[in-house]
Amino acid sequence: MRLTLHMLISHGRVARRMGMGPESRINMLRNILTGLVRHERVETTLGRADEVRFYAEKLIDYAKKGDTDEKAMKMANFWLTEKDLVPKLFKVLAPRFETHSRSYTRMVRIPNRQNLDRAKMAVLEYKGNPFPPLFPVKKQNELTLINQLLKGYREERAQELAAKS
Amino acid sequence: MAACTSRLDKFILSMRLLRNQQLQNERFLSTSVCRPAPENDSDPPKFTPPPKPVIIDKSKAIILRKFLSPEFIPPRQRTDPFKFYLERKDMILRRKVLKIPEFYVGSILAVNMADPNASGKTNRFVGICIQRGGKGLGATFILRNVINNQGVEMCYELYSPLIQSVEVLKLEKRLDDNLMYLRDAMPEYSTVDPNMKPETFSTSGEVPVNKIKVRMRPKPWLKRWERPKFNIQGIRFDLRLTPQQMEGAQKRAEPWREYDMLKEYDTSVLEEQIFGEVQSEMSK
Repeated sequence: MRLTLHMLISHGRVARRMGMGPESRINMLRNILTGLVRHERVETTLGRADEVRFYAEKLIDYAKKGDTDEKAMKMANFWLTEKDLVPKLFKVLAPRFETHSRSYTRMVRIPNRQNLDRAKMAVLEYKGNPFPPLFPVKKQNELTLINQLLKGYREERAQELAAKS
Repeated sequence: MAACTSRLDKFILSMRLLRNQQLQNERFLSTSVCRPAPENDSDPPKFTPPPKPVIIDKSKAIILRKFLSPEFIPPRQRTDPFKFYLERKDMILRRKVLKIPEFYVGSILAVNMADPNASGKTNRFVGICIQRGGKGLGATFILRNVINNQGVEMCYELYSPLIQSVEVLKLEKRLDDNLMYLRDAMPEYSTVDPNMKPETFSTSGEVPVNKIKVRMRPKPWLKRWERPKFNIQGIRFDLRLTPQQMEGAQKRAEPWREYDMLKEYDTSVLEEQIFGEVQSEMSK
């Protein structure tokens, strides 16, 4: 039995292999994360967006600790290659997500790239960004029969409760 | 008679002089010191000693050292926490029977194990703990000693029913969590006297850290201990390696590792919760 079989099977490994090795992977993720913090909506391949998503959310968790925290500042300094985004992270993005506890990002698939590789593409964005929404919100039509009946039921219930109390 | 009277006169004269002196002194003294009027010489004021001050030394409040054995902390896995809870219950049941003391890598332990082939059915091994591995019921620790110029390592399972007693002869920590490099070090660093007497140690305060830097045998070693992956503080590299070799080893340092958030595993909340659980169960 091959003893190095363990190295060939990715038992429980969570990090994808990207680029030309671990250093290249981290640099690539850093660049995408910097772009995300600057523009708040980025379009990349599906795999890269999935990897960056984790780091983006952890970075916000660190930013929430405040810019006086040493570790938080070191992390922000490392992950954001453009240093003018460090104050944006602490002063704009961290207060925006104060009420949110876990999910700060949204990932949505888009049609495959038109190149020869037809790669799966995705759009990654921070919630609360100023652009128009990725999904158009479908408005419910109030004039349909079911909606009218439900509206009437809700009003009757509210009257009953008011009469009881 | 004349001599006596003259001497007597001199004596009386000297007394008078003394008394005058005394009176004069008294007059000088009376201006500087307040004295009560010396009317009743029969009742001198009694000396009452002042009450002793009561010192409440709050700084010396004894706080027991908080120690949670590392095998209680579950690893980062996709298994149900219920499995770890059940394992912890079994571990506590075993701990109530066999007292497993607090020890660290680098402490000197003595283990009595049941052995059907040994005389008296038990065998005893004394050694330095070089590694504590495994989580849950399968937790192990390796003791190393040099006996008759032969290095011997025994790997014991903490919760094995064969173990009859575990005693800590010397409680201390070292600069590293893993002392596997003692295999490549000079034998005197791994020798422990098998008839060593247990040393007393305090249950409060910091555990003493032995900052010893070990001398190594010539290369080749079993592992390249100089590489930053092992992060060893307790070896004297300057005796065996040139500065070029040290620099070459530093090429393999991965400086992005400390910033990689994926590799972080924060156990502080888990630890506190498990510590409370274990304490309450053990005290029942």
